[in-house]
Amino acid sequence: MGYFEQALLAAVLIGALSGLVGTLVVLRQRTFFAQALTHATFPGAVGAAILGVSIPLGAAIASLFIVGIMTMIGRINRQGNQVASGILLTAGFALGVLLQGLNPSLPVKVDSYLVGSILTVTSNDVTLVAVVLAFAVLVIVFLGKQIVFSTFDANGYRAAGYREWPIELLTLVLITATVVTAMPAVGAILAIALIAAPAAAARIVSRTTTQMFVIAPVLGAVSGLVGVLLSRSLDVAAGPAIALAAAGLFMLALVLQRLAGTVRAAHEADARRALRRSLRLKA
Amino acid sequence: MDVFTPLITAFDLPFMARALLVLVVLSLVAGLVGVLVNLRGLEFISDGLTHAVFPGVAIGFVWGGRDGLFVGAMAAALIAAVVLTVIVKRAVTSDAAIAVVFTAMFSVGIIVVSRETNYVGQLDALLFGRLLTVSPAEVNQTVIVCLIALIMVGFTLKEQVFRAFDREGTVAAGYRPLALDIVLNVAIALVVVAASSAVGNLLVLAVLIVPGAVARLVTNRLWLLFPVAAGFAIVAAWVGLALGYEASVNGGVDLPSGATVVLVLVAGYGMALVARLALDRIGGHHRTRRAVGQLAEPVVH
Repeated sequence: MGYFEQALLAAVLIGALSGLVGTLVVLRQRTFFAQALTHATFPGAVGAAILGVSIPLGAAIASLFIVGIMTMIGRINRQGNQVASGILLTAGFALGVLLQGLNPSLPVKVDSYLVGSILTVTSNDVTLVAVVLAFAVLVIVFLGKQIVFSTFDANGYRAAGYREWPIELLTLVLITATVVTAMPAVGAILAIALIAAPAAAARIVSRTTTQMFVIAPVLGAVSGLVGVLLSRSLDVAAGPAIALAAAGLFMLALVLQRLAGTVRAAHEADARRALRRSLRLKA
Repeated sequence: MDVFTPLITAFDLPFMARALLVLVVLSLVAGLVGVLVNLRGLEFISDGLTHAVFPGVAIGFVWGGRDGLFVGAMAAALIAAVVLTVIVKRAVTSDAAIAVVFTAMFSVGIIVVSRETNYVGQLDALLFGRLLTVSPAEVNQTVIVCLIALIMVGFTLKEQVFRAFDREGTVAAGYRPLALDIVLNVAIALVVVAASSAVGNLLVLAVLIVPGAVARLVTNRLWLLFPVAAGFAIVAAWVGLALGYEASVNGGVDLPSGATVVLVLVAGYGMALVARLALDRIGGHHRTRRAVGQLAEPVVH
């Protein structure tokens, strides 16, 4: 497999994974959390590059710290989740830059952690994505009902005798794993587009959550594919191209929704007019 | 007094003094705007705005160098702030939509920069600033832009605070929340513009949200929040700059100055957090009773 085919495969798998887990992010309204997480993995990756260990491993360890601190700050009176996410997000960037500044001889360009470089992913990276994707699919297939139940009706979920924290923990693990595996491809800043856009688009076009869980990964995979192909034909960086492809699909879904809405409104107006006319004729 | 001399001597150098001046001005604005960001829970919106300004910065930079950067950023900031306010107001979109739209704009910025032939290092400067090489002209721009933001928010401060705590009350009293929101969002965007040459597009968020969060930890009195936030930001900027200078002159370690300042800010937040937790533990149940004049939780809309 050539490096370009490998990049395509990686983009498709990462897109599918991001779409699937992104559905959880969107439904549970954890976008800002996921965004903070993507940004904050940056120092982990830089640290890993300095120590010479695997990048996803470094990012994963950093994420563990971050989730822990964020949970702690989020519980403190007068601070809350948004403050926690925001502060860790910007601290993550600063720490990453600082680590980079302390090690000017770093062989890898740090920019690539910010905007990704999918053309340099290794077969190990691809395998990792495949494993995480398989795990995510299993979780959604077997525990999807519980997750959706706890997401939409936390009180009912508790009343039905379930406990919430295992679901919360599971979704946290999935989001973290996705962020960490997506980072080499689309980078710390742009990953959130690939996570949120397919799911948000799927939410617009689907009628049930089950449909969402199917449509979002497909849209994610399409974004990955289109992004990499566009990046080659237009000679632009792959990470931004993938992010823009995902955002484009979301915009398309919005436009389709509007069109469907106007068509439906026109139909209803027609129906009303027909009704009025028939009433008039009768009178 | 070996430890403290660098706090003074470092700023004999003109470029250090310029950096300090820029940061002090930014801190003053951050004290005002940042507290409002905190009270209104606009951290996520602010993050979106920083990303949205970036394509303006990038296009301006590619088109006209450092001066173009400023013009482009201004234009992008004004457009982004108004569009964002309208989007949020119409509530057609969710957090996810905001994240998607602004990350997409950020991508446009990255693509514009990456098409440039001499792009190595430029992206770094745009994202993380170049605090020590701001020119006198850039200092002037920063001061003017900050002043505009200060005036905008300063003149509507009472209404903004009213809006933060009681949206319905604001409407009933005859104010227009949409106008207030646009004023605040434009002010946030202006801070992003002002900071973009010095601390860069990604680190400006720290200037916007950390001082406000610290002030909330330190005091419960509303009108103390603003001076506490500004004071904290100034001290952190001062210490951060001196630390970076000391490390590179005497320690031989080249600390990136913008990142150092941000990390000092965050470290200060960490200390405030620990102190607050400790005080709450000692104070125990006294804290649960809220005295007159103390701050209730603002209602986030």
